[in-house]
Amino acid sequence: MSDWTLQARVQAFLYEYAASLDEERFDDWVALFDPGNCTYEVLSRENRDLGLPAPIMGCYSYGMVCDRVAMLVKGVLTYRHNHLLRQVSNVRVRRAAPESKDDALLVQAGLVVHQSDEEGVSSLYMVGRYEMQLTDVGGKHLIRHMAVVVDSFGIDTMLAVPL
Amino acid sequence: MLKVPADEPSTPWPRDDFSRVPYAVFTDEDIYRLENQRIFRGPVWNYLCHEIELPKAGDFVTTWVGETHVITARNNDGAVHAFENSCAHRGAKLTSAVRGNAKRLTCPYHLWTYSLEGDLRAVTFQHGVGGKGGMPAGFEKKDHGLNKLRVAIHGGLVFGTFSDDTPTLEEYLGPHSISQIDRLLVQRKPKVLGYLRQRIPGNWKLYNENVRDPYHGSLLHQFQVSFGLQQPTMRGGIKLDRDLKNTWNHSIVTEQDAASQKIVADAYAGTGKFNPDLKMADPALTKVPLDLGDNYKTTILSMFPTLILAQVDNTYAIRHLRPKGPGLVELHITYLGFESDTLQQTQDKLLTVNFIGPAGYISLEDGEALRLVQEGIRHRRPGGHEVLEMGGVGPIVDTDYLSQEISIRGFWSFYHQIMGLPAAGHPETRP
Repeated sequence: MSDWTLQARVQAFLYEYAASLDEERFDDWVALFDPGNCTYEVLSRENRDLGLPAPIMGCYSYGMVCDRVAMLVKGVLTYRHNHLLRQVSNVRVRRAAPESKDDALLVQAGLVVHQSDEEGVSSLYMVGRYEMQLTDVGGKHLIRHMAVVVDSFGIDTMLAVPL
Repeated sequence: MLKVPADEPSTPWPRDDFSRVPYAVFTDEDIYRLENQRIFRGPVWNYLCHEIELPKAGDFVTTWVGETHVITARNNDGAVHAFENSCAHRGAKLTSAVRGNAKRLTCPYHLWTYSLEGDLRAVTFQHGVGGKGGMPAGFEKKDHGLNKLRVAIHGGLVFGTFSDDTPTLEEYLGPHSISQIDRLLVQRKPKVLGYLRQRIPGNWKLYNENVRDPYHGSLLHQFQVSFGLQQPTMRGGIKLDRDLKNTWNHSIVTEQDAASQKIVADAYAGTGKFNPDLKMADPALTKVPLDLGDNYKTTILSMFPTLILAQVDNTYAIRHLRPKGPGLVELHITYLGFESDTLQQTQDKLLTVNFIGPAGYISLEDGEALRLVQEGIRHRRPGGHEVLEMGGVGPIVDTDYLSQEISIRGFWSFYHQIMGLPAAGHPETRP
């Protein structure tokens, strides 16, 4: 696969990732993770820079990824239900081990999330970046590890919906 | 001529048991300014940091006391000092860093230099250049130090006060606070696992109410109820200090039996909120054992004005409130593990952090509750009061039950006193 084809495939993957969350198609979002082995974390830049391990949100298994959105879908959590728009930019892709047959990809991208309330008032919600490891499962890319490192770690009100 | 009716009733505190609280305290700019003067610069101990954040000489952290930016530093003798982050010369901020290490603090503007005790050590060109200019002969560096706070430490918690009238720290905290600080921060040496910050669009006192309000625990937080972390049937209660300003809420592990499930189901009947069949795909989070082994499920120690030391299940955290105007507060959380933790116990805490903070299955809802209250009171007609009668009115006392708002009334009783507000209670409006 040429580098440009790879770049286009990964960008399409990220756009689907963002759209599935924006559109609250949470089952589709979960389907982007490797059910055999995956993690999802939201990390603050402050902790990352200090070498401190605690995440803001941490899912260490496929089940935990499912639970995060199940609690929203089943109405367990009382949270501010804004419309979110995720903008993904500056997508960079490299092969984890270019010399070997391992198809794992390391992906970095910029993220901006806008929030809009029920009366149509929008504001900036989150600035950060995706750091992702994709793995090839049966010819399909799935997320092995996802870290969303947020610069906006002074989080506006709450973080209920994954980024 | 049209007469404009007054917005506020003449006595905004109609009951002397503080079962009514005027909504204006959450929105009024003048009250907010008065709080900075009478509370944060008044006779209280303000939380600054934990000593573990200052392990070496020269280490400093910055924090907020009300809206005052404060530097807390460890000097070469190991002593901890605190002072305002504002140069004595022209007022510039000395540092924009949240934390760091420095031999001295130099103002970027004219390079005036201060010791780690906050004393002025050097004034550039004090004696002029080439015999010309310079400060006048009477200028004494000792008269131009940074504005200092008095510092006291208990259980590693570093506090500062601007007032000479503040009682000793031990007296101010009271015996319940002391014993809980010892339980959570002294019997094991804490370490920082991370910081969590949440900017909640609500007044800082709404959060003080929230942490003194065990009534909401099993109602707002359905996750807790669904997975047995908190039940309205749990044993527990509150203890207050003698000023009623500091509260210790606690609940104790109990078996979930059929009777307690029925009480929960009845309480939630018709609300559409209770889901007894809710399951997690990976319930590891709810299976982490309590590593203190003393059967306390939740303990919330709330210390006036802005410090909370909280154990929620197997999470341990210092929560600090940083007001940013009447309608906004930063909740700053120092999330703790312990030096003695095994690798497994550390991993457990990186899992249970999902209970708390801005994304916490439990805590994220408190941010939303505060937002809803602030929005609600901003858009209602002027005047009006909170109704705090759950658990009883009248005397403000310790309880051995959780469905109560008595400890909230304790907070207001002390707040009212320290703010020097006109006496509460109209004879005709007393209960």
